[in-house]
Amino acid sequence: MAFSSAVPAADRLPVTVLTGYLGAGKTTLLNRILTHEHGLKVAVIVNEFGEIGIDNQLVVDADEEIFEMNNGCICCTVRGDLIRIIGNLMKRRDRFDHLVIETTGLADPAPVIQTFFVDEDLRDELRLDAVVTLVDLKHVAQHWEAEEVQEQLAFADVLLLNKADLVDEAERAAIERRVRAINPVARLLTSTNAEVPMQQILGVEAFELERALSLDPGFLAEEHHHEHDDAVGSLALVEERPMDLDRLGSWLSGLVAERGPDLFRMKGIIQLAGEDSRYVFQSVHMLLDGDFDRPWKAGERRRTEFVIIGRDLDAPALRAGFAACVA
Amino acid sequence: MATGPALVNEQLSGTLQQPITALAWSADGEWLALASGGGELLLLDFRAGCEELLRGDRDQSLDVIGFSGDGQFLMAAGQAGELLLWELGGSGVRPMAFEPMPLGAGWLDAAAWQPGGLLLAVAAGRQVRLWDGASRQWSLQVLDLPGSVQALAWSADGATLAASCNGELALWQPTTNPTVPPLRHATASAGLALAFSAVGKLLAAGQLDRSLLLWPDLGRGTPWQFSGFPAKVRQLAWSDRMGSLAPSLAVASAETLVLWSQHDTGSRGWRPEPLIWHGSRVNALAFAPGHTLLASASSDGTVALWDGSGELLQPLEGDGQGFNALSWRPDGQHLVVGGDQGRWWLWPVAVPSRDTQPRTGGRGFG
Repeated sequence: MAFSSAVPAADRLPVTVLTGYLGAGKTTLLNRILTHEHGLKVAVIVNEFGEIGIDNQLVVDADEEIFEMNNGCICCTVRGDLIRIIGNLMKRRDRFDHLVIETTGLADPAPVIQTFFVDEDLRDELRLDAVVTLVDLKHVAQHWEAEEVQEQLAFADVLLLNKADLVDEAERAAIERRVRAINPVARLLTSTNAEVPMQQILGVEAFELERALSLDPGFLAEEHHHEHDDAVGSLALVEERPMDLDRLGSWLSGLVAERGPDLFRMKGIIQLAGEDSRYVFQSVHMLLDGDFDRPWKAGERRRTEFVIIGRDLDAPALRAGFAACVA
Repeated sequence: MATGPALVNEQLSGTLQQPITALAWSADGEWLALASGGGELLLLDFRAGCEELLRGDRDQSLDVIGFSGDGQFLMAAGQAGELLLWELGGSGVRPMAFEPMPLGAGWLDAAAWQPGGLLLAVAAGRQVRLWDGASRQWSLQVLDLPGSVQALAWSADGATLAASCNGELALWQPTTNPTVPPLRHATASAGLALAFSAVGKLLAAGQLDRSLLLWPDLGRGTPWQFSGFPAKVRQLAWSDRMGSLAPSLAVASAETLVLWSQHDTGSRGWRPEPLIWHGSRVNALAFAPGHTLLASASSDGTVALWDGSGELLQPLEGDGQGFNALSWRPDGQHLVVGGDQGRWWLWPVAVPSRDTQPRTGGRGFG
């Protein structure tokens, strides 16, 4: 299932999904988004009404409700409450420029993300801007084993390492390494009291294909190794030889059909045989999206970079499958 | 403003500050209420020829409004999560507002008055609550559902209340059989729209999974199930004119309208007639009372009038803004439509005469 809309991205309303474990600072960040002079009128959907200390007509309460749309198929698991509430809100879309959705600390972000691609109305009216995950630098290690924590890290496009004032540099660096092992592609920010430039949080366009991949160069260079035995991890694949689109397509289709529930995010820039343009690709569970991007620039290193974030990744099998897609 | 008992034969129009979200007529057609995405509520009193803005723009949407069957009460609810009620003292008398009643269940967008009665059913989270206009209190009876209530509908006799959520449709008889537990049908997805037919005892449910469920006998027994709609089924309307076996049902899914009619009693007895014309989402549809004339309103900025066989009779436009809502005056001669930029129009409609004659078996012309 592709997740692009026929409606041009510029005509759709950007949405930021805010995740983070209990106490990570989501409410602080929301209050900041609502009061900050960033020139955007932001509507916010929250889970626990009353926590937001600001009287704002564009703060809407939602009661998280999961709908399994298609016999429990994981990519068709969506947030029914968001379909209803956003449907109501969109009648007034000229009243706001950006939508922020807060998830509960214990939420799996996948159904929220999938809602925007599976529901036909939301797909044509909204575009997912970024998944922003707050990480409590002081306490995240205590909750590291929680499935929700690892899922929230895995799905993030922006990782905000918060409460930096409560840890020293060595502790911060240790958390950063563990976070990077799970998610090497997210933009990494560090903050105290969720104080962060708003343009780093809103208007990220992480789900636009041309912005799909912003790998930490060091991550690819050092041929990443798991330093922790976390169930959730990542694998970066680099290939200098051009790839074959048909082979790659059938490998990926088979992979998500078989392992979709364990594959959280994939992102890649592909060098295709016989093509002058980059091919960019990303996925959320079983939702796949790929298209040609700009031509390779003169002097640019033409190669394929591909990152898989998931649970219990079988690295040798994934490497072999990927290598078989070389043209 | 109209003077005297009849409307002037010209279109009326007006403007609210925010998109029109809901329109409602009183049963006698003398009152019209209009609600907006900013929470405005405008009341037109045709007998007195005046209008009153019951609430101004407060930037919180009102999404559902309605008059009680006897015209005594007007209700409104929306984003603020409160039930608002007014008592209408009669034409020319200023309506008296009740204290807003917060329900603590988030955004309210489904509520319906009991036909022929004074019960108001309100979807509040995972419950249906009943406000009783006779005692002016909340009834102690509550219908619980396993998920958030998405839609509500009363049968035409006011005895049966249907409510839907993800995975379930519940049928409840709060006044006639209060001690009998509700009948609960498992459904594959969420019912987004419910409608009982005025004649023929049918119940239709438009589903999130792009299907339509049709129950005979007021929701008892096994439903017909029709899938393959292009999108979620969001709007339903029954004609109140009996066809050969059942009245016609109009269904909207994305920009597609489908007119269903029953040809035999078998499992494939219902036949769809797609009405392809609108260029974008159909947001509202309704048959003219007493006729098979169908009106559909779309985001594409048009309202289409269709005859009973699905032939396009006339397209109507406002000023280009998309349409969110429409409602026929109970006389079947006037159509009010509401736009997504806040403008509304009241159009007199000259209903084709052959459509207004009662149908008695065959056609009257050889």
